[in-house]
This record gives sequence, structure tokens and C-alpha cells, in this order.
Amino acid sequence: MSVEAQQGIATPRIPAGLGGLLPALILIGLFFVVPVLALLLRSVTDPVPGLQNYAALLGDGTYARVFFNTFLVAFVVTIVTVLVAFPVAWMLAIMPPALASILFGIIILSMWTNLLTRTYAWMVLLQRTGVINRGLMAAGIIDQPLPLINNLTGVAIGMVYIMLPFMILPLVGTLRAIDPMTLRAAALCGASPLAAFRRILLPLSLPGIAAGGLMVFVMSLGYFVTPALLGGTSNMMLAEMIAQMIQSLLNWGLGSAAAFILLVVTMALYALQLRLVGSKRAPGGA
Amino acid sequence: MKLIFAGILAGLMATTAAKADEMVFTSWGGTTQEAQTKSWAEPFTASSGIKVLQDGPTDYGKLKAMVDAKNVTWDVVDVEMDFAIKAAKDGLLEPIDFAAVPKADLDPRFSNENAVGSFYYSFVLAWNKGSVTGEPASWADMFDTKKFPGKRTFYKWSAPGVIEIALLADGVPADKLYPLDLDRAFKKLDTIKSDIVWWGGGAESQQLIASGEAAFGQLWNGRVFALEKDGADVGVSWNQNLTAADVLVVPKGAKNKDGAMKFLAAATSPTGQAKFAEASGYAPINTKAKAEMPADVVKGLPDAHVDGQINLDMNYWAEHRDEIATRWYAWQAK
Amino acid sequence: MLLDYDRLGWLKVALLAFTALVAAFLLLPVVFIVLLSFGSSRWLAFPPPGWTLKWYQELFSDPSWIEAALTSARIATMTAILAVTIGLLASFALVRGQFRGREILRGLLLTPMVLPVVVFAIAVYAFFLRLGLGGTTVGFVIAHTVLALPFAIIPIATALEGFDKSIEDAAIVCGASPLQAKLRITLPSIRIGIFSAAIFSFLASWDEVVVAIFMASPTLQTLPVKIWGSLRSDLTPVIAAASSLLVALTLALMIVTALLRRKLQT
Repeated sequence: MSVEAQQGIATPRIPAGLGGLLPALILIGLFFVVPVLALLLRSVTDPVPGLQNYAALLGDGTYARVFFNTFLVAFVVTIVTVLVAFPVAWMLAIMPPALASILFGIIILSMWTNLLTRTYAWMVLLQRTGVINRGLMAAGIIDQPLPLINNLTGVAIGMVYIMLPFMILPLVGTLRAIDPMTLRAAALCGASPLAAFRRILLPLSLPGIAAGGLMVFVMSLGYFVTPALLGGTSNMMLAEMIAQMIQSLLNWGLGSAAAFILLVVTMALYALQLRLVGSKRAPGGA
Repeated sequence: MKLIFAGILAGLMATTAAKADEMVFTSWGGTTQEAQTKSWAEPFTASSGIKVLQDGPTDYGKLKAMVDAKNVTWDVVDVEMDFAIKAAKDGLLEPIDFAAVPKADLDPRFSNENAVGSFYYSFVLAWNKGSVTGEPASWADMFDTKKFPGKRTFYKWSAPGVIEIALLADGVPADKLYPLDLDRAFKKLDTIKSDIVWWGGGAESQQLIASGEAAFGQLWNGRVFALEKDGADVGVSWNQNLTAADVLVVPKGAKNKDGAMKFLAAATSPTGQAKFAEASGYAPINTKAKAEMPADVVKGLPDAHVDGQINLDMNYWAEHRDEIATRWYAWQAK
Repeated sequence: MLLDYDRLGWLKVALLAFTALVAAFLLLPVVFIVLLSFGSSRWLAFPPPGWTLKWYQELFSDPSWIEAALTSARIATMTAILAVTIGLLASFALVRGQFRGREILRGLLLTPMVLPVVVFAIAVYAFFLRLGLGGTTVGFVIAHTVLALPFAIIPIATALEGFDKSIEDAAIVCGASPLQAKLRITLPSIRIGIFSAAIFSFLASWDEVVVAIFMASPTLQTLPVKIWGSLRSDLTPVIAAASSLLVALTLALMIVTALLRRKLQT
């Protein structure tokens, strides 16, 4: 065993580690943090210095409602996406390659079509006079059209549709990394399939669920095209409201304040998640 | 890093060059901008030699950002009129040089010192004949769910129109609309809230009516015109039609102001207005344009329905934009 | 047993049936859009009153659609390459590095995903105007790379966490240089993560409309911006035709890749 090789294993890569982060930090620092901070500063300077924008937001029930609604939608969408994505990712991880590549193809095909176009397609499919309702009525399954659009159902269908690939793909990676022997061993030791699922498969796939879930939840928070078209006005998301403030009313102070609050609350949730779930590798084992 | 600096350099070189024989026109995209290109930009380039570059879509945030940064890349922009009045007050617009833009024939309702009309339109009551029995005749009928059951569709955003319709339906006389009684309007809107489907863009309103998803609604007249032209079975009532307009503005600090003013003169000329109106179904803001248009097109214009026509008060809206928007979205989100 | 495809028994039938349902759900709008693109109704009525090719004719008679698609593809490709490269370096540091504040840095790198895009769009546009980057391809790609980076980091970092580092160390022990070990052992093992990262970051640009509206200039119009303008004002089936062509293109690419792979294997 050569000396270099030994060093390769033994030395913790402190300098190498930080060096790798440099390009990302420069990119985010220069082109995200600086411009966004410059804009967010307006929340305390625009139109006059002070906290009036925050007072206006926090003192008004509407913003609280929209805020609550935004998190509710993100939460519902994340849960449904995880539940739907897990079995698919599971199959995708273990099915024969030929079948898997077809399924991968379908997933990528669904993502490839323009988001607005897909959302419009859902609109026409889900309407009272839409394809699904008329099909079900013609088949005699229902006699009144189901309310599938302009409500939370429509938002959930449209958003889960968009989010599924973001959950499935990371999950497949995690599931494929699990050694099937672990589960065979469990079966040999007499574990029932349910016990094996609960005690082994699910815990081992948690990193994938957490990664995909984080991506879906956070994306959903900042989303509005789909909710705006498939939801009712009572399903308004914070991002749509902020877009109105910034793009239509030109009230950048108020819009920045709302964005800042969203950012702080999300970051607090992220910190909370780190606390609760913990990070195995975090120094000091938080 | 090298890449970034090279980029900054390239960018600097690209944006500092503003040519006198070039200008940028920005509008909303789609067929409207296509018609504007064909009716205004192309003839203008042919006669003046000034090349018109098409940009877009119009975004008010982007407009404000470029004026704030004193790096304005748009020369003429198509915007809604109530926005234009507010933007002028915020100092975002150049005054119109009426020495270069002939004013005499422009409809005074749709021009002021910082904007000239682009086109105007009316909100009318339209319905799908397959989904409605009888003929709704007034805005009051749109609030009568007993006589006319079914979903009705209204414009989603906080903009001139829906508030006025609610007040008219509640019996407010046309000349007493302003100042708007918001409490009364929202109370009236509450009575049909669960029957409302909102449309956010013109195409959506057409889709809703054509498919029967909404039985009737408040539509732009140009949209009803297009539906009829394509053979959709729709009815329309011009009773109490409400006029509003898009206007053309020049952002403060535009690089080719002279070119912009010349373009405005061409766009608002009788010929330019007549051609655009024919292509789009919207109405001309030049009073001489009608003489150059086919008779059957003139018949479909809001001008043919001045009886009972109501002009939405853009100055009032510009003044109270924020306040109404706050109430509007609060009511919608409830 | 649960990860052995052939030994799942009845569970396999149930899971496959569910997977097929989800696949149908994913395909439904795509198939629907393709059908609409051949329908003669201007109003996206379904079933359409007749069938036609006129939307494709309209599409091909307007070169700006193809130009927009090429612009989008160019910007999205550059974005994906940049985001995956930067994301890969960052992921190694985030997963393997031993330094304080790692989780905070990771959080920082993910914030572009949290902030509503319109806020970032206004902020970065105003910043670019001052730098002279407004309306340039470089600015466009930088802005999209910022948005795409979290989508590159998350899948790669997750895959890297699941990878047993002792295999890489074993390669080093057997005489490979650390770089060789990473390139030959680690990267192939986390390829699904890298593949996901590439797709996600490509799409983060390809399908992005808000920042794209701000970065647009007369010579820089991407497909989503064009579609956005058309959908708002026209809802024309030409958009369905454009989408269908992209679907056909994707299908063709996938089939070619599959055939190539089969050829390589035999």
C-alpha cells in the first residue's frame, strides 16, 4: 500500500470540499443574493423608510389566509405526490430494463410538453363540460358533473401531475442503491412482507423521499400558474399575489415584504426539519 | 469568472449601441401584436426607413425596472389606459410630442398628454345560445340566477369593469357610478359568487363561452366578434356596454424618442387604425378611420352602440388602483 | 424479497397495475394535446368536429416558432451543462466535506427554489440592466442557471449520500488516483442522480417563462414566452401542434437511443 493511497483515505478533505463549493457560492452570491437583497431592502424603504409594508401584511386577514392556503396546497400536493410516486419508483427500480426504459420515456415525455400547454389541457379535460365528466356521464357512472376544477381538487390534480417526476426520479436512485440481499435476509429470518416494508424498505428509502419531498414542497410554495388556472380564486397562492403586487400594481415594497416573509418561514421550516430528522453526517450530529 | 467578465463586456457593447434608424415596439404577443406589426410597423418602416423591432410581452414590472435603471430598451409600449395614467404620475413616461403626432382626429376619451390610444373596446354581455334559454338583456340579468341559471364568467383581475357591472345591476344609474361604492358592489357580487367562473385572458373567455362551461359572461366585444366569425353559436347584448382602451406610451428615457413619436403618428393615423381594427375586431381611436373601413365591420364596432354606452372612468381607476385591488383580492380570496 | 421483481407474487400484480394507472395519468394530457392538434375546432372542443392539418401548416409558415424553439434549446442546454457541472462540484463538497455550517450553505444554495420566481426575475433584471447584461444570452443563461442549480444539487447529493464511499477508497487503494476513482467508479454509480439533475435543470430553463419574459429582447424570444403570449390572447391549436412536434421529436430521440444501446450490447 503506497503512502499516497493511504493519505487519500485518511485525510479529511477540508480544502477540497470548500473548493468544490466555490463556483456555486460565487454564482448564487453574485447573481442571487446580491440582487435579491437589493430588492428585498425595498420592503423597508419603499415608498418611505419603515416597517409599514410588514405592518400592512401582518395586519390584514387576507394575507394570512393566502399564506395559510399556500402552505396547505404545498402540503397536500407533497403528501399525494409521495403516495403516488413511491409504488411507481419501487417498480421502476426493480423491473426489467426494457420495461423500465419505456416507463422512463413516459415520465420524460410528460415533463417535456410545455407547462402552460399541459395545464390548459387539464383545464379542458377537467371542466364540467370537459372530456372526463362527459365520459363518466355517458358511461352512466354519474348523472351530475363532478366539480373537478376551480377548487382544491383541480389544483391537486394539476400540480401532482407536474411534481410526480421530481419525486419519482430521486426515489428510484435511492431504491436502486438498496441491496436486495438485506430484504432477502429479512424474509429468511421470517419477517412478513409488511414488516420488511416497514422496518427495512421504507427507512432505507427515506433519504429519497426527503429529497423529493423537499423539492416538491418548496416548488409548490412558489408556484402559481397551475393553481391560478385550475383553482378557484379562494385557492390563490402567495406567489400569484406577489406577482400582482409587483407586476400589476408596481408596489415593490409590499411584494418584497411578502416574499421576505415567505422566505423566512420556509427557511425556518427547513431548519426545523434538520432538527427533527437530524443529519447523520452533520458535524456534531445535530 | 472569465466567462462572466466576457459576458459583461459583450453585454455592454450590445446595449450601448442605440441606432437612430431602429426602434423597439412592445405589445402583448399573439395575434394582437401580429396585427399591429402588419398594420403599423411594416408600412411605417416602408415609408420612414426606420426598422421596428418587435419585443414583448408587455410587463409593467419590466417597464418600471428599465426606467429605474435608466437603461430603457423599449421605445413604444402597448399598455392598459388606467396603468398609463398611474405610470405617468409615477414619472415613468415621456410626454407625447403632439407636434409630431397629429391630435385633431384622435378620440379625446383615449388620449392624454402621456399616451395616445392604441385601440378601444367594450365589455359586452355574451352568451352561449345552446346553454341559455331566453335572452339576457342587461347586466341585472347576469345577477338573476333564478331567471338565468348556470355559471357566469367575469374578468378575474382588479381592473375597470366588474365593479361597475355589479353596481349597474344593483340599480345605480350610469351617471352616478363614480365614486365607486365598493361595499355595495361586493355585496351584490356576493349574491352570485359561487356561480362565477373567472377568466384571466381573452382566449380563456372565448373558450369558456364556446364550450358552454359558462353559460354567459362579460366579454370584450372583439372576442365575441371572433367567436361569431368562427361560427360559434353566441348571442350578444350591447345594452350598457362599457368602454375601455389600450394606449401607446413612450417610457421615460427611451433611446429613440424621435422614432417613437413618428411611429405613434403612423399607428394613430386613419389608415393605420382602420387596418388594425379590421384585422383585430377592436375599435379605432381615430375618428376618421371608419371612412376607410368596410361597412359590415363598422357595424360591429362599439361606435354603432353609443346608445346606453358607458365610459369606464380611467382617471378614477388610476387614482384608486391600489385601494380597489386590496379590497378586490381580499374579497376574491374569501 | 420486496426488491426481487420475480418473487413479489400478487404484490407485483397490484404494484404494476398501479404503475400502469399512473403512466396513463402522465400520458393523458400529452395524448390529448396531440389529438387536439389535429382537431378542426379553434376552441379546443373535444371530440373535434373534424380533422385537419391546418395548424401544422400555420406553424411551419411562421419561422418565429422554430426560431423560438432553437433559442430555448440553446439556452436550456447551456444552462443544464453549467448547472450540472457546478452542482456536481458542490454536491461532493456538501456530502463529503467536513466543515461547519454545511447545512446552512446547503440551505443557501436551495433558496432560489423557495423565492417566488417573479421576485428573482425583477431583482436579477434590474441588476443586469446596470451591468449591461440585460437582453444578452450570457445574462439569460446565468439567470436560468441560478434557478436550475437546486434541481441539479438535490438529486446528485442524494445519490452521493447513498453511495458507499469505501468502494471509491478501495479503488484508490488498488492504485487509482483520487480523480480516476471518482470518474471511473463514483460517477457511473450515481448516474441516475446525474441524469435526473441534467433533465431537471434542462427543464428548469426550457419550461421557464417568468424570468424569460424579463430576459427577452427582440432577438431573444424563447418558446415558453411565445406560447405564453399566444395562449393568453389566442389559445390557438397551433400551440398544440408545436407541442405535438416536440413530443414526436422526443419519441424519435428515445427510440434512436434505445436502438443504439441495443446495437452496442450485441
